[in-house]
Amino acid sequence: MGLHVAFRIDKAEYVVPTEQVLYLESYEAATHIPGAPPYVAGIVQARGRLVPVVDVRHRFGLPPIEHSIDRRVVVVQVGTRVAGLLVDSAREVLQIDAAAFEKPPEVIEQQSAGFVKGVAAIAKRLFLLVDVPRVIGEELSHG
Amino acid sequence: MGSNNRRDDRVAEVAQSLRETASRAEQIEHAANRLAESGTAQAATAEQIRASLEGLAASIDETATASEQMAHAHGAAASTARDVVIGIEGIASGLQELSASVAGMRKEGELLARGSDATATTLEELARSVKGTSGSAAELTESADRLVAAASETSSSVADVALRGQETAATIEEVASTIEEMSTSTSRLASDAKQIGERVTSIAAGFKGVTGALDMVASDMTESASAVEETSATAEELARSFRSVSELTGALRDSAASSASSLTEVAASVEEVATTAEKNAAVVESNAAAIEQVARSAQSVAQSAQEVSTLASASASAATQLESSTRRIVTVVEGTRATSERVAGSARTSGQTVDRTIKGLSRIREAMAQGAAVMKDMGKRAEEIGDIVQAINLIADRTNLLSLNASIEAARAGEHGRGFAVIAEEVRALADRAAASAMDVAKIIRGLQAVARDAIAANGEGLRLADEGAQLSEEARSGLQTILQGVETLDTSIRNISTATEEQVRAVQTVAGSTARLEQESRAIARASTEQTQATQSLARAGGEMRTMAKQTRDATGEQARALRELVRANAQLASSTERVSRATEEQVTSATQLARAAVQMRTSTQRTVTSVSDQLRGVTGMASDVQDIASGTQRMVTAIAEQARGASEIARAMEGARKHAVQNARAVTEQARASKEIEAGTRDIARLSAEVTQATAAQTVALTGLAKEADDARRIAKQTARVVGEQAEALAAVAATSSRQTASMQGLARGAAEQAASTEQVSQAMRDVRTRVREISLALVAQAKTSHATASDVAIVAREIGGLRIAHVEQAELVTSIAHGPEGSPPPGSRT
Repeated sequence: MGLHVAFRIDKAEYVVPTEQVLYLESYEAATHIPGAPPYVAGIVQARGRLVPVVDVRHRFGLPPIEHSIDRRVVVVQVGTRVAGLLVDSAREVLQIDAAAFEKPPEVIEQQSAGFVKGVAAIAKRLFLLVDVPRVIGEELSHG
Repeated sequence: MGSNNRRDDRVAEVAQSLRETASRAEQIEHAANRLAESGTAQAATAEQIRASLEGLAASIDETATASEQMAHAHGAAASTARDVVIGIEGIASGLQELSASVAGMRKEGELLARGSDATATTLEELARSVKGTSGSAAELTESADRLVAAASETSSSVADVALRGQETAATIEEVASTIEEMSTSTSRLASDAKQIGERVTSIAAGFKGVTGALDMVASDMTESASAVEETSATAEELARSFRSVSELTGALRDSAASSASSLTEVAASVEEVATTAEKNAAVVESNAAAIEQVARSAQSVAQSAQEVSTLASASASAATQLESSTRRIVTVVEGTRATSERVAGSARTSGQTVDRTIKGLSRIREAMAQGAAVMKDMGKRAEEIGDIVQAINLIADRTNLLSLNASIEAARAGEHGRGFAVIAEEVRALADRAAASAMDVAKIIRGLQAVARDAIAANGEGLRLADEGAQLSEEARSGLQTILQGVETLDTSIRNISTATEEQVRAVQTVAGSTARLEQESRAIARASTEQTQATQSLARAGGEMRTMAKQTRDATGEQARALRELVRANAQLASSTERVSRATEEQVTSATQLARAAVQMRTSTQRTVTSVSDQLRGVTGMASDVQDIASGTQRMVTAIAEQARGASEIARAMEGARKHAVQNARAVTEQARASKEIEAGTRDIARLSAEVTQATAAQTVALTGLAKEADDARRIAKQTARVVGEQAEALAAVAATSSRQTASMQGLARGAAEQAASTEQVSQAMRDVRTRVREISLALVAQAKTSHATASDVAIVAREIGGLRIAHVEQAELVTSIAHGPEGSPPPGSRT
């Protein structure tokens, strides 16, 4: 297959395999959950189910941005766990063969705290393959 | 003359009002400059609009391309449509709606093209009318240049006039001083003549005294003659007695003794006569000297009278010249009055033209106010369009989300979902493009709003400038009114001058007449003086002869006295020799007879003396009457000279007045020259400002031409856009045909498209409104152009009136020049043009 959903955090582009994606939602606001980890923006209602939303910017250690029409939630499923990734924008699906991904350079690997599994260069664009279970983290399994 | 001063004041006032008019023209120039700047800013804004339109056209182009691609995608989807089973009829119908709305959009696009076509045509017309205005401005500059040249010429000729007026004043001053000298010399002459008259009177009195003394001398001489007669008779008796006593010697002695004493008495009497004759000679001598003096003074009187005659003749010719030159001034003043009337007519016509200009400005103001309202409306529409664009953006975002989820679903469906995935991809691309175009449109709308704001601000500035122009025109009208009043006052002054000059002519005629009479009288005096001199000279000659005669008389009397003294001595010897006489009685008789003979001779000589003295008396009497005649003649001469002196004083007074007038004239002409210089400088400024206006108008023309070209480009692009949209519509129709069997999931998409169509319809509605507003703007522009044209023709009329004014100025200057030269009698310098 090799179809990926692409999204943008700050100036970098990331991809997630569509196999891990349920659907995308526009993002207005999330209901805050008291006691939740700081990178959890809250919960939203999507297609009749409650989905916890991870603020990926916060997770990646980036400063918060103002709300915009472009912000979206990528609803992912890892095993039975369903979670939303709050991203700056997500407007594309594209075909990337698994072979196109390379191991990220050490510097990136260190800085991204293991969130990036691979890097693919397609038509001068760089796409970072996100390690979804890591991004949603063990913390969510507790919740 | 008081009217001269009044005229000076009027001229100063006219110069003042001209200066004010010049400063107002400068203000008008500044306002026009500001107007030109705001026009340039508008042109720049129009350029920006054009650039934005180009961007819009480009994005529409891109949309068309994407639509084509979408059509292709729809072709591919048709093959897989059978697999997607339950067709995409909803989408198809939605697409059909979209197609219809695009067709509507095409119609709108064509209308837009036609509208921009009309706008371009209007702009070209505007460019042509601005070019015409530029030509008019160039003509204005040219005529202003000619005006400058004329003013400069006027100034130089007035300066020339001033110079000549000053020379005239100097000449008149010289003439006046000469006449004053003449007056004083005539007065001196009069007093001299009076003294002469007195002296002649005293001489006449002296003559009367001389006549009396001579009368006495004559009576004395008559007495002495009778005594001599007696002596002669006695001597005869003595001779007879000598003869009878020749025998009587004794008696002879006594007789001799008595004879001796008688002789002594006679001798004394003769001595007395001699003394009297001596005195007589002295008196005659002094008389002759006095007469000579009279002759000398009469000669000098004649000379002075001759000089007076010459001076009076010169004065008479000068008075005649003055009269003819004053007559020339009268005609010249008459011409000046006619010219000033023409000037007043021109000023009135200018005032009417200024009224028309004010009306045109108010029409411009109305058109501008209308334009401002339209601009504001347009800004509001642009805001509405911004809202709609926001809605389109939102729909595009939703469509993108929908297509992404469709792609994910298709991937999940595996092989069955492949075609659907492709369609979803295409729809996503379309939505992205729609979002990008919406972004561009938003940008363009923001630019349009800024442009509308600028245009409103520029329009407000234009409105203010129009108000200022109206106010300035109002001021120009009041300035013209002031000029008109000044011209009327000038007319009154000229009438006063003309009246005064006519009075002057009459006065000069009187002066000329009296001067001519004076000349005749002085000539008669000179003639009389010459005759007098001749008479006095002959009198002097007669006096000289009289003197000689008196001297001869005196000499003769002296000799007589000496002879008598000798006779007395001889008689004494006779007495002493009586003794011897008695001895020679015969000898005695003989000697007695001799004595008697001698006595007879003595009587004869005495009688001669008496006769000569009588003659002398007669001559002196005639001389006295002559002197009396001289005295009365001199008296007459004194009177005539006094009259002459009075006449000369009057001439001097008249000349003093003429000199004062000439000086005033010179001063007035000098001030006129200064005013002309100022006028010249003001006119030069106007010419310079006109040249700047021409330059600015030319630049405006160039900018408008560029704008027209750009509008033409916009028209072309709009046409291309319409064509492309048409093609797009066709492609969409094909898409609609092939996608009639697409799935129900596309119905949501169709709904989105329907919403989009509705929004687009709103957009096109807004676009129609915008188009209507643009049409209104173009109508307002046409009205503005018409008003500008009317204003330009009014400006041309103003230029023609200014030309008329200039010609009238030149004639006025010439007449003024001829006035300044009138008294000198030279031809007016205006005749060389």
